[in-house]
Amino acid sequence: MHRYRFVLFRPLQFLPVLFGISVVTFVLVRLIPGDPARILLGTRATPTAIANIRAQYGLDEPMWTQYLYFLKNLGAGEMGKSTLYKIDVLRLIATRVEPTLALVLAGVVLALLIAVPFAAISARRQGTVADHTVRVLSTAGIGFPSFWLGAMLIILFSVKLDWLPVSGYGETLFDKLTHLVLPGLTIALSLSAVLTRSLRAGMVAGLQSDIATAARARGMSENIVFWRHVVPNALVPTINLLAINIGWLIGGTVVVESVFALPGLGQLMVRGIFSRDYMVVQGVALTFAVATVLINFVADIITVALDPRIEL
Amino acid sequence: MIPHLQIDGLSVVFRGDDEARILLDDISVSLNKGEILGLVGESGSGKSLLCRAVMGLLPSRQLQVTHGSVMIEGQVLDLAQMQTVRGRRIGMIFQNPTSHLDPVMRIGGQISEGLIHHKGLGVAAAKAEAIGLLTQVGFPDPERAYDSHAHQFSGGMRQRAMIAVALACDPEILIADEPTTALDVTIQAQILRLLMDLRDSRGLSIVLITHDLGVVAQTCDRIAVMRDGHVVEQGEKRALLAAPQHPYTQALIAAHPSVTTAGEHLPPDRAHQPVFELRDLEVRFAQGGGLLRKGKELRAVKAVSLRIWPGETVGIVGESGSGKSTLARAMLGLTPISSGKVVFDGLDLTQDRTATLRRLRSDAAMVFQDPFNSLNPRMTVGETLAEVLRSQGETPEAKIQPRVAELLEMVGLDRSFATRRPRSLSGGQCQRAGIARALAVNPRVIIADECVAALDVTIQAQIVDLFRQLTAHSGLTLIFIAHDLAIVRNLCERVVVMHYGEVVEDGTSQQVFDHPKTAYTAALIAAIPDIDPDRPINGGTPALNQPELTL
Repeated sequence: MHRYRFVLFRPLQFLPVLFGISVVTFVLVRLIPGDPARILLGTRATPTAIANIRAQYGLDEPMWTQYLYFLKNLGAGEMGKSTLYKIDVLRLIATRVEPTLALVLAGVVLALLIAVPFAAISARRQGTVADHTVRVLSTAGIGFPSFWLGAMLIILFSVKLDWLPVSGYGETLFDKLTHLVLPGLTIALSLSAVLTRSLRAGMVAGLQSDIATAARARGMSENIVFWRHVVPNALVPTINLLAINIGWLIGGTVVVESVFALPGLGQLMVRGIFSRDYMVVQGVALTFAVATVLINFVADIITVALDPRIEL
Repeated sequence: MIPHLQIDGLSVVFRGDDEARILLDDISVSLNKGEILGLVGESGSGKSLLCRAVMGLLPSRQLQVTHGSVMIEGQVLDLAQMQTVRGRRIGMIFQNPTSHLDPVMRIGGQISEGLIHHKGLGVAAAKAEAIGLLTQVGFPDPERAYDSHAHQFSGGMRQRAMIAVALACDPEILIADEPTTALDVTIQAQILRLLMDLRDSRGLSIVLITHDLGVVAQTCDRIAVMRDGHVVEQGEKRALLAAPQHPYTQALIAAHPSVTTAGEHLPPDRAHQPVFELRDLEVRFAQGGGLLRKGKELRAVKAVSLRIWPGETVGIVGESGSGKSTLARAMLGLTPISSGKVVFDGLDLTQDRTATLRRLRSDAAMVFQDPFNSLNPRMTVGETLAEVLRSQGETPEAKIQPRVAELLEMVGLDRSFATRRPRSLSGGQCQRAGIARALAVNPRVIIADECVAALDVTIQAQIVDLFRQLTAHSGLTLIFIAHDLAIVRNLCERVVVMHYGEVVEDGTSQQVFDHPKTAYTAALIAAIPDIDPDRPINGGTPALNQPELTL
C-alpha cells in the first residue's frame, strides 16, 4: 500500500500552492481600476459617504493589512463580507455552488459518454468513413467557442424545437436536470473533442502494441483484446488530460453560466468583477483554485489505482 | 511420419502504394512432434514474419499471404479460423516480455484469461490452474506471483510469466520468438533449460527463433537457416553444423563469437604511468525519496580499484545492473563520483575536474550502444565528423574534408558515406560512423559501451575485427564493455568481471576463461551459448540456478 502513501503527504504540498494563489488573486483584484465604494454608491455619492463605506469594509487600510484580515477571516471560516450582497462570501458561495458543481459534472459525464464510444469506433475502424467523420468532428469541436455553441444549441433545441428550457435553473430535481442538459452539452461537446482525440490516439497505439499482439496470440477475440487490454492502457493518460481540462472547464463555467443564466459561481464571479466586489472575486477565485488542486489530486489517486507501475 | 507442424510453400508479399515486395518466398519448413526446431537468421531475414504468418497475425494489412499453406498434423489450417488455433493449439512467446505483458493487469489475470476463454473454466478453477502453471515455470511463490504485476519482476521472471501465459491453454506447439535475446547469459541458460524441460514434460513441439547459432546448437534438434525471406538450408543440427552447405551458413558459423580467433596484441606498456587509475571508486545513486522522505541509496559501483595501461585492450563484462556502464561513465566524468579517485593520465578527476575533463575530452572517446540514436539524424556523416574536428580546433579548415575521408576509410566506409544521413545507413554502417566519430579526436583511449549488442552476428564480427585492427597497430587503449563474454574473449587480452558493482575478477583473458577464480565468473562462462552441440547448456552453479525474484 506504500504506493498510496502520497495521499497523506500530498495535501501538505497544497498549503504553499494555496497561499500563493490567495496572494495573487488578492493583489490582482485590487489592481483593477475602479473603486468598489464608488461603484456601490453610484456616481453622485458624496466623498464622506464613500469614505464611510471604505472604512466599513476596511478598504482604507494598506493592502497587506487587508490581506492579514483576509487570512484571519479564513481562519474563522469566513471570507469577508460582500459589498454587493452584504453577507459573508463563504455563505454566498455555499448557496451558489450547486449549479456549478452540477454543470461540471454533467459536462464531464456527457463528454465521457460521447468520447469513449466515438474514440472506440474511430480507433477500431481506422481509415473508414466513420473514423474520418469522428476525426473531423473532434477537430471542429475544439475550435467552437462555448458562447457561440451555447447560443446555437439554444436556438435549435429551445427556440426551434421547444424541447428544453432556454435558460435558468429549476426548483425540482427533474426541472434542474432539464435545465442542465444544454449547458452540460455545451461543455461536453468541446471537452469530448479533446478527450476523443487523446483516447483515439491511445487506442490506435494500443491496438498495434505488443500487448495486443500477445493477447491475440493466445486466441483472445478482438473484443477482449480491445476492452480488456487496449482500453485500460489508453485510459491512464486520458485521466490526467481530463483533470487538466476540468481545471480549464471550471474557469469556462463563467462563460457558460452567463449564456444560460445559471445562478452558479461563474455568474457570481462576473457580478463581483463588475461591481469591484473584492471579497466575492477573491473568494470565488480561491474556491476555483482549491477545486482545481483537489481534482488533480483525485486524478493522481485514480492514475495510481489504474496503473500499478506508477509511484508518486 | 506426418510432421506436427508443416509450412508448405508459404509466401508473404508486402503491397505498398506502388510496389510489391516479396518478403517470404516459398518457405517450406516442418516440425516433428516433440522436436525443437531452430529458426536462425539475422535481422530482416523474415524469421519473425514467418511465425506471425503462421499465427495469422501479420502486423499490417499491406502484408498478405499469397501462396502456400500451414498444416497441423496434416490438416490445413484455415487462416480465417485462426482464432481457435491461436493459444489453444499454437502458443507463442516473444522477445520482450516487458512490452508483451499487460502492465496494468495482474500476471494471474493474463493466465486465467486464456483458461476461462478457451477452456470455459470458472474463475476459481482458472486461478488454481494458473497457480499450478506458475509453479511449473519456476516461480518460488506462485500465489504471490499470481497477484503481482509484470513490472515487479526481473526480466527473466517476466519471461517465465509469459511462458506460463502461453502455456495456459495447453498448446501442442510453442513458437518462441527470440525468447532470450533481452536476457543475461545466465538467465538465458535458465529459460532455455525451462523450454527443454517443458518439451519433455508436456510433449511440446517448439519453434525457437533466434539470431544466435549458439543457442540453437545447444537446444534444438533441427535447424533452418533463413536469409532474405528464403530458407537457405535446413537439416539435422549436427549434420548442418558440421558440414554447412550454403555459404551463408558457413559465414554465420565462422562469425559466431564462440569460434575463437585469437588476435595479436602488442604487449601493454607498463613502464609509464597507467592511462586510467581508479582507486576505491564509488558511485551511489539516491533511489526514490522525495521532498520530505529520504530514499534508499543504490551503490552502483562499489570500491573499484583498477589500473589500465597504455595499449591495453580491456573487456569489462557483467550482467545487466552490474555497474559496468556506470563505471565507464564515471571514468569519463559523465556521472558524479561519490568517493574514491579517478586518475586519467596523471590528472585527478576529483581534484582538478576542469583540467582533467579537458584532457579526457581530447584524449578519450566513447562509442555508444545504440548506433542509430547516438548520431544526429539531421546531419550527414561527414558533417558529424567535421563538427568534431572543428570543435577540436586542431585541424585547419582546408584539411577537414581530407581528414573526414581518411576517418571513413579507417572504419571501412566508402568516401561517399560522408554525404549520407544516419537514416539511410544500416546498423553496422551507423556503428562504423560512430567509431569514426570517436576516432576523429585522435584519442588514446576508446571506451565502447555495449557497442555491438544491437548488431547482427556477422556485423558484430566485422566491428570486432575493426577494433582488432585499430588496436593491433597503434597504441590505442580500448575499454570494451559488453555482456557478451564470447566477444570479449575474442577481442580483449584482459578481462574485468563485475558483479553487483564490484570487480570480482581481473586477469588476462586466458587466465579468466580457462581458470575462473570465482563461482560467478565460472557460471557466466558456462552459460555462454556455444556452437558445439555436444556442450550442454548450463545455468552455472546451483546457487545461480535459483530463479531470482524481486518483489
